[in-house]
Amino acid sequence: MAVVDVHRFAESITCHAWSPDHSMVALCPNNTEVHIYKSLSLDQWERLHVLQKHDQIVSGIDWSSKSNKIVSVSHDRNSYVWSMEGGEWVPTLVILRLNRAALCVQWSPKENKFAVGSGAKTVCICYYEQENNWWVSKLIRKRHESSVTSVAWHPNNILLATTSTDGKCRVFSTFIKGVDTKDSKAGSPAETKFGEQILQLDLSYSWAFGVKWSPSGNTLAYVGHSSMIYFVDDVGPSPLAQSVAFRDLPLRDVLFISEKMVIGVGYDSNPMVFAADDTGIWSFIRYIGEKKAASSNSSYSSQFSEAFGKFYGSQSKSATASDASESRGRVHDNCINSIVPLSKAGSPKVMRFSTSGLDGKVAIWDLENMEQELGNQF
Amino acid sequence: MAGAAAFVEADNADEIMARIETKSQKIESLLKHYKHVEALKTALEGSPPKTLDERCKSANWIVVRRAIMAIKDIDGMLNALDDEYYDILMKCLYRGLSTGDEPTCEQCLMIHEKLTERAGLGCILRCLSDTTNTV
Repeated sequence: MAVVDVHRFAESITCHAWSPDHSMVALCPNNTEVHIYKSLSLDQWERLHVLQKHDQIVSGIDWSSKSNKIVSVSHDRNSYVWSMEGGEWVPTLVILRLNRAALCVQWSPKENKFAVGSGAKTVCICYYEQENNWWVSKLIRKRHESSVTSVAWHPNNILLATTSTDGKCRVFSTFIKGVDTKDSKAGSPAETKFGEQILQLDLSYSWAFGVKWSPSGNTLAYVGHSSMIYFVDDVGPSPLAQSVAFRDLPLRDVLFISEKMVIGVGYDSNPMVFAADDTGIWSFIRYIGEKKAASSNSSYSSQFSEAFGKFYGSQSKSATASDASESRGRVHDNCINSIVPLSKAGSPKVMRFSTSGLDGKVAIWDLENMEQELGNQF
Repeated sequence: MAGAAAFVEADNADEIMARIETKSQKIESLLKHYKHVEALKTALEGSPPKTLDERCKSANWIVVRRAIMAIKDIDGMLNALDDEYYDILMKCLYRGLSTGDEPTCEQCLMIHEKLTERAGLGCILRCLSDTTNTV
């Protein structure tokens, strides 16, 4: 099994992020606070700080690895950047100019900007203005027809991918004069205009979540609420899109663990591995904890077997196997909301990652000994 | 919602009705020769009809229902059916269940059980979340 550590921190966890040395985790236990826990030893966690500033649920947390700043966004339409000063976390309010909830946040690779997706159909790009000593927010108001559920930065610190409940995934340029430097060999002139839409992908009929870039920035992956995952290679003027339908419940978030391998997490409470073969075709490989055997007819989880029994009534002759799901050895009992990498930022392979979910647990997974099982794409 | 803007009527309604007529005749002859699986495949091909016209959808449904009701060996049928037809079949099954007509519902329910075993819950999800291509 790939799980190294599991701990239940609260009834339910909305989001989480790790400190630069991976010894501390900041999470929101489904309320208005951000709790910071330090790991003392295996399964021993001590709560060090409680950051109380937001008035409503904290929907996104990100912890920058070089500058050691925490950014938190909340349904109260505000965002705070927390800096460690003298043993205490000091908040700085960032006025996002939103009239709806903020849903997700991510620091850019260079950590001089962060992006916030919101229910106001806008994306806020915030950067630090040295002269005025505060964070300024620039809004991308165009294009989105509904809430922005997830944002992801391209390694070049300029391109941003977003997913929305209108089913589309879009890539924008967030070039800001004075903050970003124009790369002479960079792409089209469109890439140097703030808020310019580079690409729009209309692959999904339902809500889209969880977009991520591959380590090189060549491939995008995002999920749709119709149990589909979408892979887009060669993101640019002529992208190659693939839609992969899978058998089980939809995913919520994805993570690239190498250029050709993606882990998806969602309502099945069990991480799924997808990989691209040598010809570039993506497909579902396996669940992370399971042997590679083809799944038999015992595909219902125990929570559904009772419902199915009622649905089919006297007609059902085959007994729905509720024991098989136990043998899968699930770590999470409820939907997994987010998956966060635990390797050094910018490294091509992710060896460790953590997942958190509605069951209040944070699980740390290590892929050290799984290289054989995962195959040569890893 | 997402695909609605791009959802231009592929052909006009009459062309589609004509196509459904030919489909219906093909299926009748296949059923006479006891080729149930072939009949179902023919019925499912081209559904859902790429139109918002209710008459076309109803006409198409009548054809599909004919093929579904003729199936006796469900396991055999699913064995012979390719994966790509699962999602469309599931949509048709839900349409059948919504009619409330007892023999239709009984047949659709039996096929639903077996299809879910094969295709998984994802198939049901795709059927429920796709509001643009309805059967």
